[in-house]
Amino acid sequence: LTIRNRFFDHWFPILVHIACLLPIPWLLLDAWQGNLSADPIRASIIRTGKIALVLLVLSLMCSPLNNIFGFKPALRVRRALGDYAFMYVCLHFAIFVSLDYGFNIQYISAELLRRPYALVGLVTGLLLIPLAITSFPPWPKRLGKNWKRLHSLVYVIAVLDALHFILSVKQGVAEPYLWLILVLFLLVLRIPSIRRFLSGYFTHTE
Amino acid sequence: LVVPWKYGFKSIKAIIKIELVNYQPATLWMLAAPDEYGFYANVNPNVDHPRWSQATERRIGEIGRRKTLLFNGYEKEIASLYAGMDLTKDF
Repeated sequence: LTIRNRFFDHWFPILVHIACLLPIPWLLLDAWQGNLSADPIRASIIRTGKIALVLLVLSLMCSPLNNIFGFKPALRVRRALGDYAFMYVCLHFAIFVSLDYGFNIQYISAELLRRPYALVGLVTGLLLIPLAITSFPPWPKRLGKNWKRLHSLVYVIAVLDALHFILSVKQGVAEPYLWLILVLFLLVLRIPSIRRFLSGYFTHTE
Repeated sequence: LVVPWKYGFKSIKAIIKIELVNYQPATLWMLAAPDEYGFYANVNPNVDHPRWSQATERRIGEIGRRKTLLFNGYEKEIASLYAGMDLTKDF
C-alpha cells in the first residue's frame, strides 16, 4: 500500500502534467507530416477545442472520484486539468483568430456576434478566464468561501462547452450530444443526496 | 459532383441513376434539416445558413479569409437561371 501511495503522491501528478502537454507536440508533428486533413487550419481548431473539452470533463471527474470512490489523488490534479483546459481554449481561439481569420477584426466580430456556435464559445472562454486566474495562490485563500462559489461556474461552463460543440457540427452528428450527457451525468453526481448514496455504496469504510 | 456555383454546399457524392420528373424532388439535406438546407443550395454570401455564415471563405492553403462571391463568382454566367426568384426563400 505504501508503494501505491508513493506512486500516486509523487508520480501521478507528474504523469498528468506530461499527458496534458503531449497534445502540443502531437499536433505539431501531425502538422509537420501533413496528417491534418486537406484543411489543416480547421483540423487544428477542432483538435484543440476537443482536447480542451476532454480536459474540462476530466477535471469535473476529480471530485466524484474522490467523494464517491475515495480516490484522493484526483484532487491533486484537478487544478492542473482545469488550467490545461484553459490553455487549449486559448490555443483554439488563437488559431481561429490568426490562421483562420487572419486577424480580420470585421469578419471575426461578425462571426462572434452573429453565429450562435461562436457566441456560445466566446462566452464559455470568457467565463473560464477568472477561474484560471484565481486557481493559483493567493486567490483560493484570499477569496475564502467565495472561491468555491466562483469556481462552481465551471458547471455552467461545461454545459456551455458541450452546447458550443453541438451548435458547431452539422445535424445528425451524435458525438456532441454524448458529451453533453456525460457532463450532465457528472453534474448529477454532485447532487448531495445522490453523492451521499453512492459514496456509501462504494466506500464502505467511510 | 462539382457544380461551380454550388461548390461549398452539400454536393452529390455518387450518381446511381438519372430520372426526369415534372415536380421538384426532395434532397437528402432538405429532408434531414429543412430549416437549414433548401433545394437550390447555391453559394450566396447574402443568405446565411441559420447557424453559420457563408459571407467569407478561407481557401485551402491560404491564411485569413476573403469575401465569398455570389454564385462563387459565376454570377455573369448563371444568374439568369434564378432570375426573378427570392433567393432568401429559395436557398
